[in-house]
Amino acid sequence: QAFPLPSLPRKQPTVLVVCGPAQNGAIGLVCARHLRIFDYEPTIFYPKRSPDPLYRDFTTQCEKMDIPFLSYLPTEVMIPVAEGRAPHPPHLHHPRASSTSSEPPAALCPLASLPDLVLLSFFCHPGWDVEAGSSGGISPDVLVSLSAPKQCARRFLGRQHFVAGRFLPYDVQKKFELNPPEYPGTECVVALRAPR
Amino acid sequence: QEEAQAIDQELFTEYKFSVDQLMELAGLSCATAIAKAYPPSSFTTSQPAVLVVCGPGNNGGDGLVCARHLKLFGYEPTVYYPKRPNKPLFEGLTTQCQKMDIPFLPEFPAEVRSSPGWGPRSRARGRFSAAAFPVQAALIDELYGLVVDAIFGFSFKGAVREPFGSILGTLERVTVPIASIDVPSGWDVEKGKVDGLQPDMLISLTAPKKAAMHFAGRYHFLGGRFVPAALEKKYALNLPPYPETECVLQLT
Repeated sequence: QAFPLPSLPRKQPTVLVVCGPAQNGAIGLVCARHLRIFDYEPTIFYPKRSPDPLYRDFTTQCEKMDIPFLSYLPTEVMIPVAEGRAPHPPHLHHPRASSTSSEPPAALCPLASLPDLVLLSFFCHPGWDVEAGSSGGISPDVLVSLSAPKQCARRFLGRQHFVAGRFLPYDVQKKFELNPPEYPGTECVVALRAPR
Repeated sequence: QEEAQAIDQELFTEYKFSVDQLMELAGLSCATAIAKAYPPSSFTTSQPAVLVVCGPGNNGGDGLVCARHLKLFGYEPTVYYPKRPNKPLFEGLTTQCQKMDIPFLPEFPAEVRSSPGWGPRSRARGRFSAAAFPVQAALIDELYGLVVDAIFGFSFKGAVREPFGSILGTLERVTVPIASIDVPSGWDVEKGKVDGLQPDMLISLTAPKKAAMHFAGRYHFLGGRFVPAALEKKYALNLPPYPETECVLQLT
């Protein structure tokens, strides 16, 4: 919805899906598969793979749908993967590792400075504290909050904020006082008002 | 039929989809198609009441998922699920519906009457005389604005076992629209059934089955938007393109 096919700048609607080691990453795998069905051209970077059989099956489903998995993340130059050229050898610049950061998220920081790259984060931005947010880290253009927005979403400054939680039974919504907005028609996502 | 079964097999063994995944997407497609053709505002009953009749296999599972999404879309579904498989998948789906306050009928809608053919013995055997069907059908027409037929799917072969024979007998006389999931129940999956159920809507899953050629209702939708391109090519499914990010496509 936020990036319909005709709106993407390149001739081929390429999307890089960066998947972490846990459930958020698995959601990314499912997302990539559906993007493929919607005629986007996703590529996945999934450096730390979960041993969970369900998530391994998600990986197989993507592979069998001809979604490429990058062996490393090109950080210096964003080479259009769809054109089939091999990325240059990586020069991953790791900022001095702090006790709280771990390797893959550090590799993302150079991405944030690339022009023309729109970022979409699920649930919460990597490097952000789930409750407090962060002044550093990546600044996504679009945030898709799953089930319900998390505290850190208050710090979200991007263009569009969606909620995807239409599957939540009413008693769960009431119990946690989620007060979700009305979902239009049969849509499974709803755009929240832009943050002020 | 064999082709449909082969595609299904390949999705599970080669592509490693789980039954849960595909059943969820299938059931969601059905609910979405129903919402497009029969929006809640179009019902003449006081509530948008829907009766979902679930069979003993995967088609019934699709029906359970469909019922849950219908509830989320603002309908008031009621489920009749007489033969429940002892498998965690179906038990889970049943629980999800129950926890969403979707009632499960203990019996197929029937008025209690004391007249020949309605005696307690024939009811206990689960068999109704043909005279019962019009009364049951009238009751369904009164209580519900739509019936979802989730009894038998593309694996159906051979004779219809009770209680589904009687149920289909009643459904054939119901005048409110019937939406069948994948294959109108009781039809031969390839040849159809001339004197069988005549649903108003058919939601073909993955790809239409041969029997769909005999479908004469108003709405034919395609659902189950999960077929990988390679599989579509391999079986020459020639599916028309779905619009944008929709999970259903209206064929007629």
